[in-house]
Amino acid sequence: MRTYILRRLLQLIPLLLGITLLTFLLLKLAPGDFLSTMAENPQISAATLDAMRHRFGLDRPWWLQYALYLKNVVLHFDFGESFSRHQPVFVVLREGLANTLLLAISGAIITWGLAIPLGVWAGMKQYSAADKGLSLLAFLWLSVPEVLSGLLLLMLAARTGWFPVGGMRSLGYDDMDWIGRAGDLLRHLALPALTVGLIPLASRMRQMRGNLLDVLRLDYVTTARAKGLSETRVVFKHALRNALNPLITLFGFTLGALVSGSLVSEIIFAWPGLGRITLEALQTKDEYLVMGSVLMASVVLVAGNLIADLLLAVADPRIRYE
Amino acid sequence: MTVRTSASHAWAAALALVPLLLSGCGTSGHGQTSFKDTNPLPADTMTFAMDAIGNYGGRFVIAETASPKTFNAIMANETSSSDVTQRMFVGLSDYNNITQQDTPGLAKSWESSADGSTWTFHLRHGARFSDGHPITAEDVAFSFAVCTDSVLHSSVMDLLTVNGKLVQVTTPDSYTVVTKFGGPYALAIPATGSVPIMPKHVLEAAWKRGAFASAYTTSTPPDSIVTSGPWRVKEYRANESLTLSRNPWWYGVDPQGHRLPYLDEVTFLIVPDQNTAALKFQNGEVDGLDNVKPEDYRTYQANQQKGNYTLYDLGPSLNTNFFWFNLNKVRDPKQGPVMGKPITDPVKYAWFSNADFRRAVSMAVDRDAIIRSVFYGDAVKCWSLMTPGNKQWYTGQGGKWDYNPAQAKALLDRIGFKDRNGDGVREDPQGHPIQFSLMTNADNVTRVAMANFIKDDLAKVGIRCTPSPVDFNTLVTHLRNDLQYEAVLLGLGSATPPDPGMGQNVMRSSGLTHYWNIRQPHPETPQEAEIDKLIGENTATANMDERKRTWGQIETIINDQCWIEWLPCIRVKIPISNRFGNLQPSVIPHRILWNIDRVFLKSRARA
Repeated sequence: MRTYILRRLLQLIPLLLGITLLTFLLLKLAPGDFLSTMAENPQISAATLDAMRHRFGLDRPWWLQYALYLKNVVLHFDFGESFSRHQPVFVVLREGLANTLLLAISGAIITWGLAIPLGVWAGMKQYSAADKGLSLLAFLWLSVPEVLSGLLLLMLAARTGWFPVGGMRSLGYDDMDWIGRAGDLLRHLALPALTVGLIPLASRMRQMRGNLLDVLRLDYVTTARAKGLSETRVVFKHALRNALNPLITLFGFTLGALVSGSLVSEIIFAWPGLGRITLEALQTKDEYLVMGSVLMASVVLVAGNLIADLLLAVADPRIRYE
Repeated sequence: MTVRTSASHAWAAALALVPLLLSGCGTSGHGQTSFKDTNPLPADTMTFAMDAIGNYGGRFVIAETASPKTFNAIMANETSSSDVTQRMFVGLSDYNNITQQDTPGLAKSWESSADGSTWTFHLRHGARFSDGHPITAEDVAFSFAVCTDSVLHSSVMDLLTVNGKLVQVTTPDSYTVVTKFGGPYALAIPATGSVPIMPKHVLEAAWKRGAFASAYTTSTPPDSIVTSGPWRVKEYRANESLTLSRNPWWYGVDPQGHRLPYLDEVTFLIVPDQNTAALKFQNGEVDGLDNVKPEDYRTYQANQQKGNYTLYDLGPSLNTNFFWFNLNKVRDPKQGPVMGKPITDPVKYAWFSNADFRRAVSMAVDRDAIIRSVFYGDAVKCWSLMTPGNKQWYTGQGGKWDYNPAQAKALLDRIGFKDRNGDGVREDPQGHPIQFSLMTNADNVTRVAMANFIKDDLAKVGIRCTPSPVDFNTLVTHLRNDLQYEAVLLGLGSATPPDPGMGQNVMRSSGLTHYWNIRQPHPETPQEAEIDKLIGENTATANMDERKRTWGQIETIINDQCWIEWLPCIRVKIPISNRFGNLQPSVIPHRILWNIDRVFLKSRARA
């Protein structure tokens, strides 16, 4: 097991190297640089632009910039500075990390909190009206792109006034007591979390239903039923545990998407997370900030997958990593 | 600009309209305090004239579509940061957005030497930073030293350079600052005024360490950010909101001697785009919008009473719209094989460089139709960088090449551009069909719409124009680096002050923003040589009559040559809540906040 983990961690090195190189190349291949907007300002002379380009190191060939970036990362664990903010990239990213995690975890709670019970229910009542209705709803929601569902929910908020129109806190937040603050935060969180959480719901629910149906057909379940156990006991005590196994891998994906999965709804709902920072960095070509964000998302994704694999081994004694 | 799919764009647009139908009453003012001024007033206060004496308390909320990147005024390079830092740091002089004139700032008065190259400023006695530390000539000298630091290369450095020489600053005593420029300088006051006065006692150590750029960042604790202006940072929630509170030591007072600002707080709410800002305004979460699309003017107009706000008509914008043809030559071995040859197809260069062709194009464009359709009637014709909204510099000349399709056709006939094969498109004498592409940035709906109108108008006189909307960065790369384009439609935002001297790089043939033919080693046409001479004269004297004369001559030459094909400029209207007094919104940025230190929450608006 230990060698397996070590091997996976070692595999991370070429992977991250590839990711950084590709991101850097794409950033360089796209037209313009951080100073492009400034170049359109008649008050800024060509000499000033050149001096700024030199200060940011943008006047060097791209491969040299990349080599220097790698050198600083490896030798000093220095991931560079944001051009616009004059702060180390992870200081900037940290600003949004907690908010992104809050949103992503709330979304995951909605996904799993609904997927498992609904999946089990649909599985127990296979081909009933409830099962068919749930499937229809699930597929409908799955077919709606996140941008659209997010905007629809935002429109609901704007029309009814039941929910705030984006943002994370009301302006009066500071004057509230802790109950008021929690309520305010929840009201702001509800719609973006729903947008994030409902996307993977359909697939998770169908997976749960399918797994349960598979297990219910196995001999040991027939044995349990033959013993005269109640259907509830058969499903929850015997079948469910085994049916949950394949979902652990899917849970790994949820972990992996913690940092990057809610980007679109963050932007729609003005949620002050990593999505906003990354998008703005991409648009203004704040290169090292984009690199930092991509690196962080990649590491979390890889870690999520690793954890899922390990969990699977813990849950299922038949799986061994050697 | 946010990146979105076209589908979501339509949705966002639809969304923006929804709340316009809802009433926008709400209360964003909170926790009214009765501020007690405990600090003594300085000996030299600065008294602001105002419509009404206000009272203390309240908060004004404005929406910003990007978060501030830094609180370091000298390092701030874009408006999301400078909109904030300009509230926090004063300069030697200030600017009145309504009269469009320089006003005293930290310096209560100044005088210049006879030739206009040396300027002496007299600072206010008793002025203090937000930590109570006195502001003296030392701080001014420090701020100038940082602004002219060649390593930091701040964006005001160009303004402080005259005839290739940086400004020299001396401080004969604690309240006198002498600035010596490399020659007589028309922009001495706005240039020195754009140096933000920052505290030497806090920042000198960081500057000496070479760490000035990373001082006063957005993660610096608010309490340790010492400011010289009316406001200081109270709280910053990254990408969410920024709240400024009053600097209890500021020198500004109302006519009755009460210390300003009146408001307890100014909050910048950070929103993803203009549509969300509009939603928040309609919901009463935001007190004013500084940018509204012309198609929404009517809806805002109609809902004024219900929403308890006023849609202010600020008059013609100072921002211009225009297009031009590429006359650039190969000046860099990377751009093409033969140095000094035109970058565009030589056939097309022959048309573009013909002033009569450019005049015919100008006369083919129906500007009234553009005003009606693209701007919903809320725009005016404009023939200069100094628009009708400019109180000091608008001359009213131009318009010689306004819409006149018959004359456009006659002119094209005369230069031998005729439709020889009957396909509706004219050919030049060598038989090449007259066609070109018109590039603009795709995220600007107004520009794209104008490009489509121009296409139709030109088709009517037998010229084929293909609008080509591209990504903004791609456009800039074509404009400044590879120069691969035929014609470009763009706009230019105004500087503060909107003075011809601030746009020198557009006029000068050597300028990077001399759109049609940038960075000429020597002026290529006699007319451009003349403009270079005139703009040099214009900025080298403080005599306004002389300056206006030379500026008028520059306009005449540019309009006669028709290097720039002028398009209408928008009439600006913005909605602001009626709950506040002393509002004086202006076309010059920041349209609402420029005098926010004088704005107050009306007492009957308090709940």
